[in-house]
Order: sequence, then C-alpha cells, then structure tokens
Amino acid sequence: MDVKGKSFTRFQERKKEYEVQQGKDAIMKQHSKGKLTARERIELLFDEMTFEEVDAYSVAAPAGGDFGRIVKALGDGVITGYGKISGRLAFAFAQDFTVMGGSLGSVHASKITKIQDMALKMGAPVIGLIDSGGARIQEGVSSLAGYAAIFNRNVKSSGVIPQLSIIMGPAAGGAVYSPSLTDFVFMTNKTSYMFVTGPNVVKEVLNEDVSFDDLGGAMIHMKKSGVAQFVYEDEENTLRGVKKLLSYLPSNNLENPPYLECFDNDTRIDERLRDIVPDDPNKPYDIKDVINLIIDKNSFFEISEYFAQNIVVGFGRLSGKTIGILANQPKVLAGTLDINSSIKGARFIRFCDAFNIPIITLEDVPGFLPGVDQEHNGIIRHGAKLLYAYAEATVPKITVILRKSYGGAYCVMNSKNLGGDFNFAWPTAEIAVMGPEGAVSILYRKELLESNDPAKLKKELATRYRDEIANPYVADEKGYVDGVIDPAETRKKLIAAFDALESKHVAVPSRKHGNIPL
Amino acid sequence: MKIISRKKKTENQYFAVTPHGKKYMIVNPFSEELKINSRKEEIRIFEDDDGFTYLEYKNKKYLAEIIEKYQNKYTVLLNGVSYSFTIETPISYNRRKFLEKHKQVSKSETINAPMPGKIIELLVEENVTVKEGEAILILEAMKMQNEITTHVSGTVKKISVRSGDTVAKDQVMVEIER
Amino acid sequence: MKITSLLIANRGEIAVRINETAKRLKIKTFGIKTSKEPNALYLRLVDDVIDFSDSSEEIPEFLDIERIIEAARINKIDAIHPGYGFLAENPYFARRCKEENIIFIGPSDTAIYKMGNKTIAKQIAMKHKIPLLQGSQGNVKNVREATDIAEKIGYPVILKAAAGGGGRGMRIVEKSSQLEKMFKMATNEALKAFNDSSVFIEKYVRNPRHIEFQILGDQHGHYVHLGERECSIQRKHQKLIEESPSAALDDKLRAEMGEAAVSIARAVDYYSAGTVEFLLDDDKNYFFMEMNTRIQVEHPVTEMVSGVDLIELQIRIAEGKKLPFTQKDIRLSGWAIECRINAEDVQAGFSPNLGIIEKISLPKGKNIRIDSGVTDYSVITPYFDSMIAKLIVHADTREKAIQTVSAALRKCLIKGIKTTIPFCLKVMNNRKFRKADFNTSFIEKELDNLYYQGAEDEMLAAYVATFDFAAQLETDRITFVDFERGKNISPWVLNKWLKSL
Repeated sequence: MDVKGKSFTRFQERKKEYEVQQGKDAIMKQHSKGKLTARERIELLFDEMTFEEVDAYSVAAPAGGDFGRIVKALGDGVITGYGKISGRLAFAFAQDFTVMGGSLGSVHASKITKIQDMALKMGAPVIGLIDSGGARIQEGVSSLAGYAAIFNRNVKSSGVIPQLSIIMGPAAGGAVYSPSLTDFVFMTNKTSYMFVTGPNVVKEVLNEDVSFDDLGGAMIHMKKSGVAQFVYEDEENTLRGVKKLLSYLPSNNLENPPYLECFDNDTRIDERLRDIVPDDPNKPYDIKDVINLIIDKNSFFEISEYFAQNIVVGFGRLSGKTIGILANQPKVLAGTLDINSSIKGARFIRFCDAFNIPIITLEDVPGFLPGVDQEHNGIIRHGAKLLYAYAEATVPKITVILRKSYGGAYCVMNSKNLGGDFNFAWPTAEIAVMGPEGAVSILYRKELLESNDPAKLKKELATRYRDEIANPYVADEKGYVDGVIDPAETRKKLIAAFDALESKHVAVPSRKHGNIPL
Repeated sequence: MKIISRKKKTENQYFAVTPHGKKYMIVNPFSEELKINSRKEEIRIFEDDDGFTYLEYKNKKYLAEIIEKYQNKYTVLLNGVSYSFTIETPISYNRRKFLEKHKQVSKSETINAPMPGKIIELLVEENVTVKEGEAILILEAMKMQNEITTHVSGTVKKISVRSGDTVAKDQVMVEIER
Repeated sequence: MKITSLLIANRGEIAVRINETAKRLKIKTFGIKTSKEPNALYLRLVDDVIDFSDSSEEIPEFLDIERIIEAARINKIDAIHPGYGFLAENPYFARRCKEENIIFIGPSDTAIYKMGNKTIAKQIAMKHKIPLLQGSQGNVKNVREATDIAEKIGYPVILKAAAGGGGRGMRIVEKSSQLEKMFKMATNEALKAFNDSSVFIEKYVRNPRHIEFQILGDQHGHYVHLGERECSIQRKHQKLIEESPSAALDDKLRAEMGEAAVSIARAVDYYSAGTVEFLLDDDKNYFFMEMNTRIQVEHPVTEMVSGVDLIELQIRIAEGKKLPFTQKDIRLSGWAIECRINAEDVQAGFSPNLGIIEKISLPKGKNIRIDSGVTDYSVITPYFDSMIAKLIVHADTREKAIQTVSAALRKCLIKGIKTTIPFCLKVMNNRKFRKADFNTSFIEKELDNLYYQGAEDEMLAAYVATFDFAAQLETDRITFVDFERGKNISPWVLNKWLKSL
C-alpha cells in the first residue's frame, strides 16, 4: 500500500475526523456531569492497549421523514469492540451520551447486536456500558426494532455467556429491559438512573412529585427493587467491580470457572467457628463472619448486598476454585425466607448452575416469614422458585446446617432428598418440623391447658424436645445428613467434598425447558 | 483503531478525603518518593509477629488498624482514634468536585440507632426545631444510657420509635428536615 | 471457720482478680457461666464452672439470689464473693447466705442495709459529727421555706428535682436575690421533665474533688484505713481515672478524714473492706457522701501504695481472723494511678463499642499491673458493663507515675474494638492534670476534645488508608487469574454434557 497515496489519505482523514469528534468539547461535556466518556470507560475496563474497535465509522440511518434532525456522527453514539480483560477475551459496547444523548437508532442497535452475536459465537463475556436517553424518536419504529433485536440476543445468550450491564447514565423506557435480561447489573451512584417511566410521566399521570434519584437511582435499585446487584460511588470503582466479578466467571457454559492460586491453607482448622453460633437459639450472629472464616481469605464477593438481606449470596473461592455461596442471615429477620430472598436466592442458584459454579448452602433458617402480606403476595409461588432452582441445579451442591433447619424451609435449603450431594451439620444444628416452642404447644396442648404453671411446663417440654428431636443426630442416623462435623473443620471437609464432586454428572431428561413457577 | 491514550502520568496520585472535605494528596505511596500534600515524607509500615500493624514516622511508632473498608471508603484506627476517608484517584476526585458543584442537598436526614438497644426516653417531639449536637433521645445499651444527638439542624419531621422500643443497629429512629 | 471453696458470683476482671488471690490461698474456686458470655476468660481460670446458661431472661444470672445460693449448697461451697455491682450491696443476699450457712465475703447484712439507705447513713454520720452536705429534710414546699434553709446553710445552694437526674430541674443559686427566680425555674422544669414539680435544696460545693477512704475492719472491732483515693476524673458519675494518694490532702487532713471514715465504719459494726466517699471543696472542707460496702473497682491503687491484698484480707476477715496490723503499722509509699480501659468509643460520646477483641496485648513490667477480664477473641456484649481491663501503675512520685502510665498506655495494643485509651492519654497529657489542679468538672471544663491526637495523626491515618487502597489496586493488577484451567474439563463430564445439550 502506498502510504502517501490517495487511498491512504482517505484513511487518514477519516481517522482525523473521528478524533475531532471525540475531542475536548465532548469530553468536557461528560466530565461536567461527573461522568467519564465512553472512550475513557472502555480504557479503564480493558487491559491497556488491547481494545479493538469495530464499526467505528458507521453513521446514523436517516430519519423516516423530516421530523427532527439526526446528527451524522461517526460510530452513531456507541463504541463497540473487543479486547482483553485480565488477559481474557471479552466483548463490549459503550454508549456515548455526547452523540445525540446516546439514543438508540437502528445503526446504533445493529452495532450492538453484531457484538452480541460475536460474543456468542466466540463464547466470551459481553459487557454493555449503558448511558443513553432511550429510543431515538426521530427513527421511530426502527429504533424499537433495534431494541427488540438486542433483547432477542440477550435471551439467546442467557446461560451461555456471562452478560453484564453497567449503567453509567440514564436508562429509561425500553432501554431498561436489556440490562434486566442480563446476568448482573452494576450502577454508579448519583449519576445513573433506571426507570420504565420517568418522573415527568409519573407527575403527569399520577400527579406525584418524585426525583430521578428517588424513582430510579442506584440506591433505590440496590436496596428496594433489587434490579441492581452492585452499586459503586464512582465509575472507576464500578469498572473495577466489573473486573472483579469477571474474575470469578468462566467465559461460557462449557468451561469451568477460572482458578486463582490460593495462599490459604486447605486444611486450615479455625476454632473461632466453634464459638460463632450462639448457645441461645434466638440470638443473632453475622453469617458473613462464618463465610469469611471458611472460604479462601478475602475471596468473598457479595451480590445484592442490600437487597433481601435475610439471605446472603455471593461468589467466593475454595482452594482457588470459584464457588457460589448462599446463606441465611440470622441477623436480618432471623434469617427467615420471604418473597424477595427466595427470588434472590433462586436467581443466584440458576446462574451458578448455568456456569458450572458449585454451590455451598449455609443454613440457619427458622422457616418462611409468616404474614398476610407475604401470603397475599404469593410466598407460595415465589418460595417455589427457590425450591425449583435447587432441585434443578446439577452442579455440585453441598449444605452445611449451622443451627435452625425447620419445616418447609429445611426441605427448600438444598436438603438431602431435594438433591444435595453432601449435607453436613454442625453439632449446634436443630433439625425438625418446627421449633421447640411451637411443637410442644401442638403436641401437649391439653397438658399445657391443664397445667398450673404452663410457662414452666412448656419450657421443660421444649428442652426435652430439643434434646430428643431437634438435634442433628436423628437426621444423621437416618442418613438425611451425611455427617455431623466439627465446625472448625468445615473448610477442610468442604474442600474434600468438592474435590470428590469434580466429576459429578447428572443426566437430565431432554426437554425444551422446565416450567419454573415464575 | 488505536485508542487515543492520555498517558497516565498521575497514576500514583491519590486523594484521601475526610468527611469534612479536608484532603490529603498522596503521591507514590509505595516508594521512597512518597509525598503527602507535596511534602516529602518518610513513613514505614510494618507488621509484628502478633499481627499488629505499625507505622514508623519520625522515629515514633504508631499502632494502626483498618477497621472498616467498603469499596473506597476506609476507617482507620490510629493509636486508638478513628479517622474516616474516601480514597480517590485523580479521575474519581474530579468527579467528586464536579458533583459537589451541582450538589443537591438532601432535604431530610435520618437519625439511626448507632447500636442495638432500648429507647429509654424521647427528648423531642415532632415539629420541634433542633440544633446540631442537640440530644434527641436516650438509648440504653450495655446498661448505659447514651444520649443520641442530631448531626444536622432542622425540624423533627417524624419520630418512628417510642420509648420502651427495642431498636436494631442502624434502624431509623428520627427524621429531621433541614 | 476456714474457707476451702469459693463461689465467685461475678464476671469480668473482678472475677479474674478474686480467683487469683483465692488460688494463691489454695481455695477451690467456682465460676458462673452465662449464655451471654460462654467463653469468657474467667471461666477458663476458675477450678470449676457452674452452668447458668439456661437462665431465664427475667432474672439476670448474677442477680439470681436463690439460684446462686442453691448452686453453692449443691456444690458444698463454703463462701461466696460477690465482687462489685450485682449482689455486692444487697443486704437480702447477705442475709440469705447467712441463713444457709454460707459465708458472704463482705460486711453484715445490717451494715449493708444501714449504709445503703441514704437517710440512715446521713443520720449516723450526723450523730458522729462527720461533716455533711446540709440541706432540706425532704422536699421544699415554697420559696419562703427554701430561703430559710438557704440562709441557714449559706450560699451557694443547689435546687434539685426530687424525681430528677440528667441536670434538668437543677439550678445553682449564688445569692439570695436569685432564689425566687431560680426556684420557679427549677420547679417548672421539673414539672415539665418529670411531671413532678417537687424540688429539694442542698449546699452547693463548688469544684469538688472526689476523695474516698479505703477502710478495713475485722469481726473483733479492729479498724484501720489504708489512705485515700482520688477519683475526680469522672464523666457522668462514671469514674475513669483514679489515684492514690491525692495531691489535695496533707498528712493532717488525711489523718482527720481517715479517722472520720473509720468512725463511720465503727458506728455500724462494719467488717470487711469498705469505702467511705467524701466531697472536698476548694477550701479543703470535706463532706460525707456515702459508704460503699464492697470492694471497689479502683481498689488496686490502694493495694499498690499499701502493699496489701485487699481480697485476701476480705477472705481472712470473713473467716473470722483478726486484722494482721494496726493503723500505726500501715506504711503508704509512692504514687499509684489507675486507668480504666473500657470498650467505648470516645469519639462517639463514650458509647459502648461492641464487637470481638481480635487481639490484645497489654504491657508488663515492674510497677505495672494489669487487671484484665479479656483475652484474644473475647466478645464485648451489650449485657454487661464495658470495662475490659485496668492499667495500674506505681512509682515514687506522681510525676513519674504519670510518665509510666503514658508510656504503658501506648503499649496497650488492642485490635477489633475502640477503647478509652486515647482519652486516658489525653488526660495524662493535660497540663492541669499534671499539676494536680483538677476537680470533678475536669472533663467538661478542661478538655477541648476527649481523646489524644498528635498533630500528624490524621495525615498518617490518611496514609494508611491510601496505602491499603493503592496496594489493593496493585494486587488486582498483578493477580493472575487462571482462565485456561477452566477449559480442561474431564472428558467424563464434558462428553456427557455435550450429549445432554
């Protein structure tokens, strides 16, 4: 090729034009909102100098009629491409708010679907950096078609490659559904919003005043709606979080998750675990302390930290291998299962199952949360999701019963007969149909009514019930747990058990898909 | 397509910002070239056999411990006194500055229980104005009665607890509107 | 009767302390285990543990008189030491012990009762011509009555709400012209705060110092005092730093006050160890406050200067032995200071700091004594008081003692919780404290902030945080996640997978 020749001049000109477009003005515009540009985000996300852009010079499709103006910017408001994240191939698209508010037109959409298709073909994670005003009104139905095409790819890729959505600006209307179809949603506090209908519409229709932050800010989605799994204070930390999450995930569903060399001792005995569960069955403790003492040091990465806190889910590593951890949190609502925690748990289990991540269940559950509100909102339906997800999962599944394991909740939390591969119990475990107080008031109703001192009798009976029924030894003798273990040795036991389960395979009958109670 | 890469000259520059907005600019935290607020400093961090972490600075030893860490928010205990910071890189520090410029001051603030305990007495009523530092209620924990004060001045909008109630840590007790 | 076994009806550092002496005296010790602190240090040190874990919630373990007595009976224990707090000053408990033929280590139930009742205690003091804070007998009805009393006892006086506390309904009156106004304000405030407008009147002591005398008596009518302790460094009536002797006393005053303390003890046929508390005003007038009929938290400072073991003497006296010395045998030497190390967050207004002590290392050395109730992994629970340890130092002079305390405080290493150490350091560094120029309002008046902080401390803390953050980034950067290994799936699994897809 003649470097000084005509063909090359054209190449240089285009390149120059692109650089100008992404110049100072555009950068300042983003920075003044406390946001980074799409380019900067890509740079932070990918390993240095590894990002290769695709379709940099696409331009927007013309509008249908002469309604509105379309800016013919190179790239049409989205940067797409691939590169290495922590040395591994990944695909990404980053919407550019400086070009027509990052609005999604047909070209913009087809660039995204192209990347989605590539990621699926190559079996590599795909990451969407979202900062967009929504559908491009000028392009009308074409932009809606674009959204639908993206949704289609999202669903096709679901459970095949990890899909992450990083919300770094607005995501309104139809735009919110692509993130919610993906596996994980990250948001940046104070500068990102997600809602189906914005504050203006809410005001118009319902005459309610609500701010962007209160309607669909990051904290709302983190704490209340559960839409966002991760929230960080700024974009740099958000992208750091994305990389951290990726370090736990395989590239696709035919790989095992990655490995990180473990400096923690595999046979570490931690005596603190013996004291962690209080003697008093009604006293709370922080299950995260237990998690951190069992798994590799500093390896716990929690998901949906502030949503449905009565269940704790997250990734960790055991002897260097990624595991999924699901644990009841006695500190919140006594660790009972309710609608939100069932959904949170079920979704996490299905993700782990899809990507070959073994699951540990740490159980201390007094039962389902009672109440009219729960029943009327369908705890039956939602609790069934958790049950379904556990039974359906074919990855290695181990349960450790720490303390309470009562009734229906016992069954749900990966019990032996639901399909647990190994079920262990600590000596503090109480396995029974219901708690001692409840049980004796049913079994000894008459005696209690006739007693002079019912409180005292109840206490005596409850103690007896605890000694005779609500302990781990009955279940152990009947084979419903595989062993009562010393809490201090939990780590050692789990590593050995997962090692044995490495070559687990379960044949499932062929079907299109099961019918999870959605 | 090559990235227009702005070379990261400032790679090793960090800002530690206190809750009051005081900032420490720290450059090259690992090397001999350590500078804090543009002054060269010599600080050594080391750990003893018992697992205590020390700082050595100007021939003096300081006991240090990170007691809280969440993302880039830190609380450090130095000689038993705690200090909170957010650690910012130049990029996030700029964002902070931009956002502060356009800061919307939230209208209401909540007083949360600093520890689990029992409400002994409410010292304010709804719709009463309070000044920063004023006692709002008395919370009993560890057999000790603790005065809980407000960190903002304003009007008491809502009291969500009654005396005799037991509260969990971080439970919202009182809302105050600026 | 010789004591061969002892039930320690207490917890924390005092249980450890009592156990230590008892073991030295070859007495078999028993501790009480509660569900609130099942792994506490004292349980590991005692010879035998009595389990109260299943105790009901209504009666706290250490207040369950009948259960404690029953436990002593079943285990054939000779004596019970109540420590301080809990049942230590409960006359009913002392009486129940007597009824069950268990030795209560402390004074007789009548002595506890008399000194526990403020009115009786004051009457006894008055009878023995011990100076008292004068005031109204009960509530005052109106301004005229208040004026009469104030004129009699002299200004300044203080008006206090009968139902009160916390400073509300409290007014200091400097001169007679203010009295009417202040009386109205105090009654109004009392009515508003406590729904009870009654107030009483008392002589107001300006800038008082808290001076207390350690006394000992045996069951044969012999008494000594072991000098005084000054406990003026207190916050909301919680003592934080104590010392012995007090710089405010000379030998003459010491002898006078000591004699007063002993005469009160004698008046109630007191035996065992006890403490008589006085207020001392600017002009060195002292006023009897109350008598504590138990071992005090701050007893070690007295032990340091007098060289006696107060717990041992309590046990011996309880056995019926005579005091091994008379007043003229007592030699007090040097200066002792005690700092209470509490699990409290000084920066958050001394609020309790719950949690787990991850690691604790306290200084050792000549002239340094540590009374601690905790060890690595001890849990600070909300159920008990927050004191975890006491640092006591003995030196020739007050100046040297302060120096040693400062140095020792810096060697108290505690990881996991916040403590009052920065506060103690602050006090040790205070000019007025060093000059012994202080009184009970020291903390409110003299300290601008409540914890010691060097000029560069915040910067160093910022560096620690930044260092960790930067190190984290660096670790993330160089951490090699092995993505390849996941691709090697055993054919046993992979082939089956593929078939089932």
